[in-house]
Amino acid sequence: MATSMPTARFTLGQMRRSTGRLASAGIAILISTVFVTVTLLAGGIIEETARDVVAASYADSDVIVSADEESESSFSTDDVEAVAAVDGVGTVQPLITWSGTLRNGGKGGHQLFAPVPTDPRLSPLELSDGAWPAAADEVALTPQAAERLEAEIGDELRISRTLYPEGWAESEAENPAAELGEPEEVFESLTVTGLADDPYGVYTASGGAAAIPSATLSAWNAAEVYPSDVTDLLVALDSPLADDSVPAALSTAIQDTVGGTGAQASVETTEAAATTRTSGLTGGDNIIFLVFVMAFAAIALMIAAMVITNTFQVLIAQRTRTLALLRCIGAGADQVYRSVLLEAAILGVVASALGTLIGALLTQAALMVAPNFDLGVPIPETITLTPQSIVLPLAVGTVMTVLAALAPARSATRVAPLAALRPSDAPTLGARTGRARLVISVLCILGGIALLGLGASLGNAGSLEVGMVAAVGGVAFTFFGIVLSAVLWLPRVAAGLGALVTRSGPAPRLAVANTLRNPRRTAATSTALLIGVTLVTMMSTGAASARATSEHRLDEAFPYDLSVSVTVPEYVEDMRDAVAEASGVSAAAVVTHASAAIGDTEDMQLKAADPDGLVAVVNVPDQAEELAEGSILLSQDTADSLSLGAGDSTPVSGPSGTVDLTVVITGSTALDQTVTPEDLARVTDTHTGTDIWGHISGDDAEVVLGNVQEIATQVDIDALVVSQAAQAASFRQIVDVVLGIMVGLLAVAVVIALVGVTNTLSLSVIERTKESATLRAIGMSKEQLRGMLAVEGVLIAGVGALVGIVLGLGFGWSGSATALSVMGTVQFAVPWTELALTLGVALIAGLLASVLPARAAARTSPVAALGAE
Amino acid sequence: MDTTVYVPADQPAPAPGGAARAVRARSLTKTYGKGEATVQALDGVDVDFEQGRFTAIMGPSGSGKSTLMHLLAGLDSATSGQAFLGDTEITGLNDKALTRLRRDRVGFVFQQFNLLPMFTAEQNITLPVELAGGTVDKAWFDTLVETLGIKSRLTHRPGELSGGQQQRVAIARALIAQPDVVFADEPTGNLDSRSGAEVLSFLRRSVRELGRTIIMVTHDPSAAAYADRAVLIADGRIAGDISDPTPESAMAGLDALRTLEPAVATGPATGTTTGAGA
Repeated sequence: MATSMPTARFTLGQMRRSTGRLASAGIAILISTVFVTVTLLAGGIIEETARDVVAASYADSDVIVSADEESESSFSTDDVEAVAAVDGVGTVQPLITWSGTLRNGGKGGHQLFAPVPTDPRLSPLELSDGAWPAAADEVALTPQAAERLEAEIGDELRISRTLYPEGWAESEAENPAAELGEPEEVFESLTVTGLADDPYGVYTASGGAAAIPSATLSAWNAAEVYPSDVTDLLVALDSPLADDSVPAALSTAIQDTVGGTGAQASVETTEAAATTRTSGLTGGDNIIFLVFVMAFAAIALMIAAMVITNTFQVLIAQRTRTLALLRCIGAGADQVYRSVLLEAAILGVVASALGTLIGALLTQAALMVAPNFDLGVPIPETITLTPQSIVLPLAVGTVMTVLAALAPARSATRVAPLAALRPSDAPTLGARTGRARLVISVLCILGGIALLGLGASLGNAGSLEVGMVAAVGGVAFTFFGIVLSAVLWLPRVAAGLGALVTRSGPAPRLAVANTLRNPRRTAATSTALLIGVTLVTMMSTGAASARATSEHRLDEAFPYDLSVSVTVPEYVEDMRDAVAEASGVSAAAVVTHASAAIGDTEDMQLKAADPDGLVAVVNVPDQAEELAEGSILLSQDTADSLSLGAGDSTPVSGPSGTVDLTVVITGSTALDQTVTPEDLARVTDTHTGTDIWGHISGDDAEVVLGNVQEIATQVDIDALVVSQAAQAASFRQIVDVVLGIMVGLLAVAVVIALVGVTNTLSLSVIERTKESATLRAIGMSKEQLRGMLAVEGVLIAGVGALVGIVLGLGFGWSGSATALSVMGTVQFAVPWTELALTLGVALIAGLLASVLPARAAARTSPVAALGAE
Repeated sequence: MDTTVYVPADQPAPAPGGAARAVRARSLTKTYGKGEATVQALDGVDVDFEQGRFTAIMGPSGSGKSTLMHLLAGLDSATSGQAFLGDTEITGLNDKALTRLRRDRVGFVFQQFNLLPMFTAEQNITLPVELAGGTVDKAWFDTLVETLGIKSRLTHRPGELSGGQQQRVAIARALIAQPDVVFADEPTGNLDSRSGAEVLSFLRRSVRELGRTIIMVTHDPSAAAYADRAVLIADGRIAGDISDPTPESAMAGLDALRTLEPAVATGPATGTTTGAGA
C-alpha cells in the first residue's frame, strides 16, 4: 500500500522521540502481561502437580481397576481376591484410607491411616528408617505425622476407636443405644516400628499418614458404622505391560471376575487413570482458583488500559504541532489515525513480549527457589511452555494497548491543519458528560445497593450461595455506576478536599482549581487508583471482619482457651490442679458431663460447673455469671426446641431425683445446658465424662498447649488436650496469609495506577506551558510551581484513595454481612492499619508522581508567556 | 543589511524632561546561537526610560524590540552589557532574585492576556500579591477596578469576558502590586481597533492619573501615538526617539526605518524625530 510506508516510517520516527514516555506506558503493559503469563504458567504447574500426586497415589501399579461410578458400586473383599487370582495378575491392593484419633501422650488428634500393602510396589510410601509394621499393633509414620505427634521409633501411641453394636447402621430406632447398647470407645496401643517418606506428597494435604498393615486397616474400616467404599484397585502384574494399553484379554478377564456386582468395571493403565482423575479435578477447585487469579489479572489489565489511554493523550498533546504540520502538507486524517494505532501496536507487542518473557523467567525462578521451602509436594523442575501460555499474554497485551489507544487516536485526527499556524491548546476529548451517563450510573448504584441489601438478608436467612451471587452482583453494579459517574462527582470531591488546603496559599489554590479544569482526565486518573484501593480495602475489611467474627464465634462456641478430657474419674482433682499450675495457665475449672431429662425430653447432655470457677475460666464471663443454683443456661436453639423461654421453670430429672430450674438464655453454645454441680448432684451421680477448662494468660497459646499436654499425660495417659486459642491463632494466620497474597496481587494494580498519575500530571504540564510561564512572569517562584504540582498529585491520588477506602469498607462490610452470617453474629471490623497504610502509600506516591512533571514545569522560561513563539 | 538610523553606543538615548530613570540599558547585547548560526538580536543598546511616563518601543518584526523588553524585565539573560531597574542591576541576578524582582517591582501585560481561566477576574488581579504572600491594598484595588471600568466584571471568569475586558483585568493584575514599571507586550495585538483604543487609553490614564511607569512594545504606530515617547529600534540597535508621537510621526519613523537610505531619518517627520544621525 503506497500510503502505509511513509506512515510507518513516520510512526517509528515519532516513537524514537518519545521513548521515555512510551517506556512508562510500556511498564504498565509489561506488568499486566507478566501477571497473565505467571497466572497461566502457575495454572499449568498446579495441574501437573495435581496429576503427579494422583499418579503417585497409584504407586508402581501397572493397572487400575475402577468400579463403575454411575452405579455407585464398590469392590468387596471377595472381588479383591478374585482379581488377584486372574491369570497374569501379581498382587492387588485396594485404594483405601481410614482415619481415627491417634495420640502420643496429650499430643495428636485426628490422623489419616494408609495401608501397607503386601507388595511394596503398591505403596507410594518409602521406608526410610526401621521396619514396616507387620502386626495389628504396629505402625509406621510419615515425617509430618511423626513431627506432629513428636514420636520416634519405639514409642507407644494410643489409638481410640468407637465400636458400635452390630446392626447399628441398619437400626431405624430413634435411639439405637436403647435397643442395641451403648457404642464402646476402645483404646489400643500401637508401637512405632518405622518411619516412611512420602516423596510424592500423596498424604501431604491430609497432614501426613500413619501406615498400618493393609489387613488391619481393612478390618478397622469394616468395623465402622459407615465403612468407606473401595472403588479402585491397584494391580501389579506378573510382567509389566508391553505398551501403553491394557491387553483386551486381561481387561475382559478382570471385568468378568468382578462382574458379579452387575456393573461394568473399567480397567485402565495407571497413566490413563491418573489423567482421567486429574481432568476431573481441574473442573473443580483449580478452575475456581484460576478464575479467581484471572480476575485480578483482568483488574490489572483494565487499569493498565486507563494508563495507556492517558499516556497516548500526552503523546498526542506533545505532537500537536507535528501532527498539524503533517495535515497541512497533505496527510489524511485516516493516516494520522493509523499511525497512532500502529504505534500502539508496536508498543503493545514489544512490551507484551518482554512481559511474557519476564513472567516465564519469574515462574521458572520461583520453581527453582520453591524446593528450599518444605512444600511436602514435589513440583515440576521446569515450566511447561504451551502455545496458550505464550500467545495469550502477547495477544491480550497487544489488543488491550491498541484498544486503549483508540480514543487518543481519534483525538489526534481532530488536530486541525490550522494548529500548525497558530498556538493552540492541546486536543482534548470532548468533555461531554451526558445525562444518559448520569441516569445509567444512578440506576446502577441504586440497583447495586439494593442487591447488596438483598444479599445480606439472604445470607442472614441462610441461603448463602444465592446471597453471595446477589452480593457479588451488587458490588459489580455499584462499582460500575460509581466508576461510570466518576467524571461527574470525583473532581468536585477533589475540590472539596482541596478546600482544606487552599487557605495555605495561592499555589495550593491554583492546584485545586487545576484539578477541576479537565474533569474527565482527573476522574480517569483518580479512578485507576480508586479501583485498586477499593479492592485492597474490600479484601482487608472482609478479612478483618471474618477474623473478628470467627474469633467472636470461637469465644462463644469455645469460651475456654484449652480443654483437657479426663478419662478416669479418680484423676479429675489431680488433673485440675496440674492444669492450673501449668505455666501460662491462669485458671482451671472442672466441667462434668451427665445425661438427664429436661422436662419430657430424655437424654439431654448436661454440663455442670462451679459458677465462680467458670467465670474465671471462660472468655465470656458475663454469660457465665448468669449461672446460679436453681438455674439452667440454655442456648436459644435448645430453648426453642424444648419450647422454653427465658424465666420459665422446667423440671430436670434423672436417677437421683428431680429439680425445678429457671431457664436463662445464653449466647454461648458451649454453655448450653449448664447447671451448678449442686443441682446436678440432685439429679444424677452418673457422669459421662469430665473436662478441665483452662484459661491462658498472655503467653503464646502454642507453647502453653505444649506445657499442658506434657503435664496432662503424666496424670492420665489417655487425656486429650485441645486448645481453641491455638486453633484461633492458626486460623488468624491462614486469613493473614490469604489476605497478604490478595493484597500483593492488587498492589500490582495500584503501582500501574500510579504510573498513570505521573502521566496525567505530565500532560497537564505540557498543556499549561504558557500558563506556567505567565505565573513565573508575574512572580511565582520555582518552588511554588513545584508545590502546586505536588498538591495536584496528592489531591488526585488522595481522592482516589479516600473514596476507594470508603467504598471498600462498604463493600467489605456488606460482603461480610452476607458471607459471614453463617458463622453467627457478624462483627464489622475496620482494618485501621491497612487503611492507614493504603492512604499513606497513595499520598506519598501522588507526591512522588509530581516530581518529574514539576521539574519540567519549573524549567519553563517566563518568556514563553509572552509570544506565540 | 545596514540600518538607516544609528545611535552611537556612547550616546545613550536621552530621557526628555530630566525625570528619574525607571529603567536603563547600557551596552545591552544579546546573541542567540553559535558559530554560523549566530543571530545578533541586540547589539550594544543604550537607552533610558523615565519614571511616571508611558514609553513605546517600536520597530519592525525581528528588530529586537521584544528581546530588549525580555532583558529589561529580567525574563531573559543578556550576553553582555547591563540593565538596571531603578538602582538595581538586574543583569546577573539569579533566578530567585529575578522572581522576587518580577513579583515586587515589575508588572506584565501580555498580547494574549494570559489570564488563568479557572479564576475569576478578581482572583486573577490579586494573584501576584498572593504569590508574594502579601495582603491586597483594598483602596488601591478599588481605584484600579474603578479606573479600568471592570468593577461589575469582578466575579466573572475570563471566558465570560470580552477581549478588551480581559486585557483591562490583565492591566489591573499588572498594577496591583504597585510595581516600579509595567511592561506591555503588544497589548492590543489580539484586540479589535475599538477595544484596542480603550485599552491604550486606560494605559495612558494609569500613567497620568495613577502615576505608573509603562513600557509598551508595539509595531503599531497608532498604538505608539498614545505614549509620551516612542523609542525606535531596528536590527538590534536604537534607531530613533520620538517624543509625544502622533500616529503620523510614528508611522513616518517606522517608514524611515524601512527605507534603506540613511537620509530618510531626517525626512518629513523630523520635527518630532530625534534621529541619532541628525
